[in-house]
Amino acid sequence: MRVLIIDPDPARAALVAEGLIGIDPLEVRIAALFHEGEAAAFQPDVVVVASESPDRDTLESLREASAVNPRPVVMFVDRSEPGLAEEAVRAGVAAYVVDGLSAARVRPVLEVAMSRFHLMHQLRADLAKAKADLASRKTVERAKALLMKERDLDEEAAYRLLRKLSMDTGRPLGAVAADLLAFAGVLKGGDSA
Amino acid sequence: MSPSGPLQLGFIPLVDAAPLIVAQEKGYFAAEGLSVSLSREGSWATVRDKVAAGALDGAHMLAPMVLASSLGIGSETKAMIAPIALNQGGAAVTLSTRLAGEGEAGARLTHLVRRRQEEGASPLTLAAVYPFSLHNYLLRHWLAGLGLNPDVDVRLTVVPPPRTADLLGEGVIEGFCAGAPWNAVAEAAGVGQTVVRVSEVWPEAPDKVLGVTEFWAAANPAILQSLIRALAGAGVWAADPRNQRELVALLARQEFLDAGPEAITAGLAEIAFAGAGVNLPRPEQAVWLLEQMARWGQIGEVAIDRVAERTWRPDLYLAAQGD
Repeated sequence: MRVLIIDPDPARAALVAEGLIGIDPLEVRIAALFHEGEAAAFQPDVVVVASESPDRDTLESLREASAVNPRPVVMFVDRSEPGLAEEAVRAGVAAYVVDGLSAARVRPVLEVAMSRFHLMHQLRADLAKAKADLASRKTVERAKALLMKERDLDEEAAYRLLRKLSMDTGRPLGAVAADLLAFAGVLKGGDSA
Repeated sequence: MSPSGPLQLGFIPLVDAAPLIVAQEKGYFAAEGLSVSLSREGSWATVRDKVAAGALDGAHMLAPMVLASSLGIGSETKAMIAPIALNQGGAAVTLSTRLAGEGEAGARLTHLVRRRQEEGASPLTLAAVYPFSLHNYLLRHWLAGLGLNPDVDVRLTVVPPPRTADLLGEGVIEGFCAGAPWNAVAEAAGVGQTVVRVSEVWPEAPDKVLGVTEFWAAANPAILQSLIRALAGAGVWAADPRNQRELVALLARQEFLDAGPEAITAGLAEIAFAGAGVNLPRPEQAVWLLEQMARWGQIGEVAIDRVAERTWRPDLYLAAQGD
């Protein structure tokens, strides 16, 4: 596991690093300031940032921009900042209260943050897929209706025809249906192509 | 006063935090019966989170942050309002002295960007201080005016203001748009040259505002009125040239900006804290900011007028002044 710790307080950074001992393989890099080039070269699995670090704005903008390569960000927050941890969690940062943090707690905190991050990432991907599936099913329904009307088929036969087209061409049913609708538009002189 | 203790107000170390710092140090809060604790913050995201969570009662905020938070872009939705604008001016674009040479700076930059594209080199990196900031919109507008597409022809990143001069010097970024005193700091360090100031492009654009949650404003109407009056009074003091030496010394202190007096003086010359229309939060300004956000794809279909009316609150400012 590669961990990048951004903390201007070396003592606290050292505490976090200490808590990671025992993870194998492990590579920890501690920096007072975030350096984008170094971070890109290091490829951390997780970034830990102190709540008072000015680099939070940079990390947050990277998180927005790097949909292709998202990585979890964990923030340590002082107990003297009521509500900040909850608010940061809602903003998409995994945040933990640092006061009284013992080295023994660091590892579970990072592991929970990472697994939750990957879960959220998976949920987002699933949602996107579900939306795509729904759109595809609607396309198939429309293509089926078109075949029923134009070829005077019943629903079952129209579906079988689409399935056959899909299997013959080795392309997904939704894609075949979309093509069919597009071609029908062209043949009719419509603009759906 | 809330019985739980002093008001907690946040600021970022910038010259335009002056109204809060002056109100505290020159007794404008005290004169309104307010007990205030100022909290220096490191990042705008933390300012936003703390105000949203109630860890701060209010803060020095980038004007577009109030809108972004109210619309739930970049964070969860939290209705915020701007009951007083703190300043105009101060934002500027500074390019690395490595790009210096003959002719006009913009033309040189364009030429360099195009040459690098022909050579297949990586795009130049430029920085703004926060995605939802006048600085981001000024930088993008300036690039667009040069015929460059800020989303394609250069790489835009976010850098905290106090690090701009260092990163420019190290070559991590080739230019940035930030508030005072950081452009002057880069110039004084010999690493940057300021090429355009917001006053030359959008002289009346709102820069920083006092940001509070709609919920806090509704729960603390009397305190808010006192706060608006104290900040307006402090703005007048800060704008008075007779107070400039004292103001510079005050801002330079370690617990506030921790920056050189020369750079702060240079920054002050660019900023209006008081005067005609500077402090009144006019909804037209919010409309204009929302249009900037839409121009660069930060917001989609939004009821712009309704959002502006709800967030920019001249009524609260005028009511406070009327007492």
